[in-house]
Amino acid sequence: MEIKYRGAEAIVETRQWLGQKVIFKTRNKRGYRHPVLEKRLVKERLRSEARIIERLFSHGVKVPAIYSVDISKSCIIMEFIDGVTLEKALRGDNFNQYLDETAKLLALLHSLNIVHGDPTTSNFMVTDVVYAIDFGLSSVSDDSEDRASDLRVFLESLDSHHSEISGREIFLSHYSEWSDSGPVLEALKVLELRGRYNLMRG
Amino acid sequence: MSKIAIGIESTAHTAGVGLITSEGEILSNQRALYVPEEGGIHPREAANHHSEKLPYLFKAALEEANLTPDDISLVSYARGPGLGPCLRTGATAARAFAYSNDIPLLGVNHCVAHLEIGLLEGATDPVLLYLSGANTQVIAYAAGRYRVFGETIDIGIGNGLDKFAREAGMGFPGGPKLEKVAKGDELLDLPYSVKGMDLAFSGLMTAAKQKLDSGHSLSTVAYSIQEIAFAMSCEVSERALAHTGKKELVLGGGVACNSRLREMTAIMTEERGVKCFVPDRSLCVDNGVMIAWLGLQMMSADYKITEKDNEVDQRYRTDMVEVTWR
Repeated sequence: MEIKYRGAEAIVETRQWLGQKVIFKTRNKRGYRHPVLEKRLVKERLRSEARIIERLFSHGVKVPAIYSVDISKSCIIMEFIDGVTLEKALRGDNFNQYLDETAKLLALLHSLNIVHGDPTTSNFMVTDVVYAIDFGLSSVSDDSEDRASDLRVFLESLDSHHSEISGREIFLSHYSEWSDSGPVLEALKVLELRGRYNLMRG
Repeated sequence: MSKIAIGIESTAHTAGVGLITSEGEILSNQRALYVPEEGGIHPREAANHHSEKLPYLFKAALEEANLTPDDISLVSYARGPGLGPCLRTGATAARAFAYSNDIPLLGVNHCVAHLEIGLLEGATDPVLLYLSGANTQVIAYAAGRYRVFGETIDIGIGNGLDKFAREAGMGFPGGPKLEKVAKGDELLDLPYSVKGMDLAFSGLMTAAKQKLDSGHSLSTVAYSIQEIAFAMSCEVSERALAHTGKKELVLGGGVACNSRLREMTAIMTEERGVKCFVPDRSLCVDNGVMIAWLGLQMMSADYKITEKDNEVDQRYRTDMVEVTWR
């Protein structure tokens, strides 16, 4: 058993399970939260995460396969994606291609009426292709503003971690290849203006 | 050689004048708070308040520290972000003091000052959870700037608390008043709105008002607001800690004076094995000391003052400041 990552939400471990290496994602208790809120959030997020991954997987989207869910232990057992985070991958030479794939992946998610909720560069894994992981904050929505919020989260994490590459234009140009992207990009403009004291961007 | 800076704060409700040495010794922290008779802050009224109070604050600060203007090597003022009339009043006072005493003048970023004063507590490379009236941001240093990792996408947490308190018939400032009445352990079902590392508070405050109108007691509603709003703030700062891999959290802003928030961040950081730095309440709220301290930090890196540095900028964002002093 090896702890891969202690996130804000959950502990992610790799374990041997039925003869293969898998991911155990366990939501741990947050001592600072009111017990009622704690219960509400954990249950909501666990169920929604499992359902959404299942739905995406069945549509052939690159996400980890779910093997088992244990609500009493707040735990999801899923496929281990053997790769590096997009955050790391973007430091290499192929960032153009990875941004392209990530943009298309996010557009595909959106076209299936799923918003990721936290698509930072740490929440994509790169093997020979790009996978989306960590659907802990995802939800079912076809609202342009929710989709735009996804884009904003991604662009912000790109900006704060990879300020050296001008990924914004590359990412948005590939996202806009999705035929229904128009209203989302409009909503993004509105959202970015609404950010407090936010400056106009090019 | 030890240097002394004077700092002038006037971004919103607070007029403040502070004195600090380059070793971090605080010599004086004078503050005066504008309290509106009714409703929210009126920028011009607040600016009038500041122009009335600032001369006395300068005098009181120098007297407390037993200094004359000759002892001071830098005048630092809050250039932004903030309310235009308030900023201009503070900048005018700073200019008058600097030019009449022939001292260098430097306008600094208010949000960055909140972060830098937290470093005085011993933090070296923290995530800052900055919760005030108008500003609600999670900030951390990366590649030459203080980057905003998460922030409110509608209203500042403090303005939300103030607005609810006002509608519930309590005066300004609303946050401390709600803290006093918040009691019990019953949690009402209110919207919990975290989007990635961003937050939204207006839906929460509207729903809270509806709960109050439908007969729930003020103490229970106030308690529930605090539980939800602060849990959201804790969650985004924890996300930023996880995302950046940093090992320190600093609290800043007026809302960071709240005891329940302090308790929650203490639990969160302990569970994560992260150090939590909480400046004294007089340094969490808006104050002149932090403005003076940031000015000294910038000058320590041989910052070259230009004519731009005596202006104000209402929309002076945290990530616009090039950080050369660390």
